[in-house]
Amino acid sequence: MQIRFPSLLMTVGVAGAALWLTASPIAGQAPSGSLFPAYKAPRTADGKPDLSGVWEALTSANWDILAHSAQPGPHPTLLGAWGAGRGGQSIVEGNEIPYQPWAAAKQKENFKNRMVVKVAADPSRFDTGDRELQCYRPGVPRANYMPYPFQIFQTPEEILIVYEYKGALRSIHMDSTEDAPGDTWMGWSNGRWDGDTLVVDVRGFNGNTWLDRAGNFHSDALHVVERWTPISPYHIRYEATLEDPKVYSRPWKMSFALYKHVETNAQLIEFNCVPFVEEMMYEPVGLYRPQPRKAR
Amino acid sequence: MRTRPLLRCGALMLGMIGALAASPADVVAQTRAEIAEAGRKASPRSAEEAMKFFEEDVARKTAAAVARVYDPTKPPASPSMRTPWGDPDLRGYWLSLSYTPLERPEKFADKPLLTPQEAIEFFREAVTADSAVDPATVHYDWKEFGMDTWQSPVRPNRRSGLIVDPANGKLPPLSPEGQKRRAAAAAAAKITNPETAVSLLPNFYTRCITGNQGPPRLPFNHDSESQILQTQGYVVILTQSNNDARIVPLDGRPHLPSQIRTWLGDSRARWEGDTLVVETTNFHPERIWRGATADMRLVERFTRVDPDTISYKITVEDPATWTQPWTAEIPWPRIEPPLFEFACHEQNYGVINVVTGAQIRATEGLPPARGGDN
Repeated sequence: MQIRFPSLLMTVGVAGAALWLTASPIAGQAPSGSLFPAYKAPRTADGKPDLSGVWEALTSANWDILAHSAQPGPHPTLLGAWGAGRGGQSIVEGNEIPYQPWAAAKQKENFKNRMVVKVAADPSRFDTGDRELQCYRPGVPRANYMPYPFQIFQTPEEILIVYEYKGALRSIHMDSTEDAPGDTWMGWSNGRWDGDTLVVDVRGFNGNTWLDRAGNFHSDALHVVERWTPISPYHIRYEATLEDPKVYSRPWKMSFALYKHVETNAQLIEFNCVPFVEEMMYEPVGLYRPQPRKAR
Repeated sequence: MRTRPLLRCGALMLGMIGALAASPADVVAQTRAEIAEAGRKASPRSAEEAMKFFEEDVARKTAAAVARVYDPTKPPASPSMRTPWGDPDLRGYWLSLSYTPLERPEKFADKPLLTPQEAIEFFREAVTADSAVDPATVHYDWKEFGMDTWQSPVRPNRRSGLIVDPANGKLPPLSPEGQKRRAAAAAAAKITNPETAVSLLPNFYTRCITGNQGPPRLPFNHDSESQILQTQGYVVILTQSNNDARIVPLDGRPHLPSQIRTWLGDSRARWEGDTLVVETTNFHPERIWRGATADMRLVERFTRVDPDTISYKITVEDPATWTQPWTAEIPWPRIEPPLFEFACHEQNYGVINVVTGAQIRATEGLPPARGGDN
């Protein structure tokens, strides 16, 4: 069951302090603007703010990008507290996704079918559950709020992001207006600097990803504009505006903080989930389990 | 010529199998013939026109290649190319392809280095054989997609084989433990399995767990592109095949503890003069690479020998498998960007069709098929 908080509930700044006067229902989970004194990030050799490092979001948005209670998860008798989801506030500003009427119904259907996995030769092959379940690529912006770190490598021509989850990659082509050569899971990213903010325009999605495990979705017409702003040596304010004329009635926005990993020798540890999902995916079609052997 | 089993075009096959009373093998043969005929009818060029185009293409590309024989005895270009912060510059897109075999062929037994003329001769013969296939006669031929090796900047190589150590150019003998393991695997293979399964496929590329090459990146026949990205603290090696990402720190930090095992291994690097030396350990226990164990230690050396070539040298050390370490060197030509997203696992019809086909063959009592990637 999906539980949504009424939109009257005030969101509180992620840093934990109840900044009552500056908190606002439209804030998503972004830190308040007054949290740190005006910050100017160290520069790279070509004079741009240096976003290099290992970063991670600390939200439960991957479970549900809207406000949600702690919940038992789909198989409580099997997984108990391991399978449960923690509660979390909305990263969506206004705590509402402006779905067109058909899309609102579709999201509810997605939620019901979120653990359905179909792998046969089926024309509606991606009309099944949450792709994360099958270790498919998470797309953008979801890759940024998966509960796994990612690493940013910054050069003047290209900013590469490697996500620990599945080793998913994004290459942000700097100062390029090149169109996507084809539709992809992670989209095609063109970036530029707007003062100290990295603005990334992402298009060319294949429309197969979900925005979370709760069935929030988009189509291949999705267009994302991200804003990455360093606000301290250890925090990036991440904002993304999503528009999709096939699914939403207007653009909408999400925001949250990214935290830098500061432990010595922080590194991504390979999370290749393909072997973890083969039994789940291929056993129902009789392709996974080894049959009894007989000697020749 | 590179061919793919027809089984990879599985949607049609799966549909037809349910509908017809003929044996599945007959259906496959029938469908293969129908598809070839339909392809010929739909082509804008006649088979003869297509072959003439390719013959001209071969002549053009071969002429360019033989003018630039790769000579490993030549010292690297000087001054060395540098990044803006002063490290040797390996940045860009590079191809791991070669007609030179890994092990030195018998006919060159005492000849680690060919003369340039011999190298050109060998290259021409390889190109002729590779380009000879008429695309109208096979399911599909890499040449049609510009993916034959001669259609890349690969050039003749004075080395007769890629292995440079041991001195005979061959893989070293197996250690006693390596011999025991190989004998056990051969014995296990004699036990027929009535049904193949995804979990038993030895090919991790078919299962989309890792790309088709390594690490290390020995030549394979397709998706052999890499990108090397450098920052002051890291070298990142990305592959086209499966988009494997290797993040290699340069700060001298120790390897991960031995309990942490990964499919791509854990890499650490340092500069030795103009050469990037990457050491990789901590391989996953289920990884299969030429019979090596998970405790294999890999050292890769990357040297930019000219503006358009990286010399890629690997040393593989695994006393549990080989009696001595062995070293091979492959020249990587520079290629044009970009790498594309390689969404391998996302709806992997390859694994579905390979396993389904093998199961059908097993129920018909046929021997296992020897397909392209297995």
